[in-house]
Amino acid sequence: MAREIKAYRCRKCGTLHYPFRMVCRKCRGNDFFEFDTEDLPSAGTLLTFTFVHALPADFEVAKLGLAMVELENGMRIVGQLRADDPQLGMKVRGRVEPVRQDGYTTHYGMVFYAA
Amino acid sequence: MRDVYVAGIGITTFTRLEYPLSEIAAYPSMMALADAGLKGIDHLFVANMGGGRVNHQTGLASAVIDSLSLTPAGAETIENGPASGASAVKAAYMAVASGMHDVVMATGAERMREVNNLEATDFVATLTHPLAEYVYGVTLPALAGMFTRLYMEKYGVTERHLAMVAVKNQNNALLNEFAHLHQEISIEGILDSPEAMTNNPFVAEPLRFFDCCPVSDGGASVILVSKEVAATLGKPMIRLAGVGQATDTHAVHEREDPTDLLAVRSAAAQAFKMAGLKPSDVNVAELHDAFTILEIVESEEVGFFAKGQGHIALEKGVTALKGKLPINPSGGLKGKGHPVGATGVAQVHEIVTQLRGEAGERQVDGARVGFTCNFGGFGNNVVCLAFVRED
Repeated sequence: MAREIKAYRCRKCGTLHYPFRMVCRKCRGNDFFEFDTEDLPSAGTLLTFTFVHALPADFEVAKLGLAMVELENGMRIVGQLRADDPQLGMKVRGRVEPVRQDGYTTHYGMVFYAA
Repeated sequence: MRDVYVAGIGITTFTRLEYPLSEIAAYPSMMALADAGLKGIDHLFVANMGGGRVNHQTGLASAVIDSLSLTPAGAETIENGPASGASAVKAAYMAVASGMHDVVMATGAERMREVNNLEATDFVATLTHPLAEYVYGVTLPALAGMFTRLYMEKYGVTERHLAMVAVKNQNNALLNEFAHLHQEISIEGILDSPEAMTNNPFVAEPLRFFDCCPVSDGGASVILVSKEVAATLGKPMIRLAGVGQATDTHAVHEREDPTDLLAVRSAAAQAFKMAGLKPSDVNVAELHDAFTILEIVESEEVGFFAKGQGHIALEKGVTALKGKLPINPSGGLKGKGHPVGATGVAQVHEIVTQLRGEAGERQVDGARVGFTCNFGGFGNNVVCLAFVRED
């Protein structure tokens, strides 16, 4: 699995997307390969979160923090949350880290910490 | 397009069923044939989400049509996540309305208890975005938990409102012989007493155990026919008058306002427009309360109440069984159970039972217009249906 998470910028109208999609939501151009990739900001604010207590069997933790974060550039992303007493609107910072182990495969994704 | 009527309905008890998926589908189909007084059909649509993954059975419709000895009638399986059921009803509607067939059956079935609860939750979670959601451990309860926290913050919905939905629907289910949960609960027991936090632990904060529907096995079936056929059967003339469907972004975070369920709004508006009805015309509704919050929000998005007013209507008892607009008299997904592929068809089963006046102790007096909302994904594929009793 990729160890980086990218945003996708439409070459025609400049709209940023995450996750990847085939066609831009804004201008709906349908040329092949119409996006340039770029880095997502790592800082953002906590839009909402949950702690999940009933997890799929491959998570060996009692509860898992998940968050929806609004990044500095206004884009949103879902990732894992490692914070003790999260509050809506608090500043967070994300890092790409292992998020799920599936047999011998390690999946990477965004993990957010209190900034 | 031709008018389309409901000729027959059938349902299994929703619970843990120790028989094969194909039989869970075939049994209510047989009941629907018997109810309609029909021996044959032109076509069968079977709604199912997890047969291939959970039960190691694919090609379900072919198995069911043969089990019913209805070959060589055409049959296909429809998978549209938790909205598979209403999608099958929609397919049957199109088949009859177009004039292609006169008698079409839509059956939904699911056998989820063949695996444990965590595996069942993981199987349903596979409908989330694989790279942007699923990989992180996002499940449907997780998305609902994040959504609920936002909704509470924005509109003043509290844990008490959520518990009120659970109590209302589970107590409605006590009056439904087919319901999964026959357990009377109270606000005291799940929220206020010293034992409440033990009785009702968190599943995905702020959602608790009693905010989530059970994992169920079950099947339901409905037969749709042309007006000519319906007139020969001597059943109440119940017309499927409105059908609406809409989609939304796969990843929930991409929605402009993550507290809006635009696919519900659009699907409901289409169904009402097609039927020539307004939300205020509805006498009884079955909404997709996989989580308690969803009943409140859907009651707003389909147009029964203004945005942010659903929990107020709930407080006032408007949506109670004896209220002005009873929602989920069957117990809903919360009380009746949620065998995912069957749910959309089971909602139709309840509405038809109500419009026929055959709902017994949970009958909504004088119901003539009924409405269903079947919510797929986390609101990314929604099917709404409107039914009218004509005679």
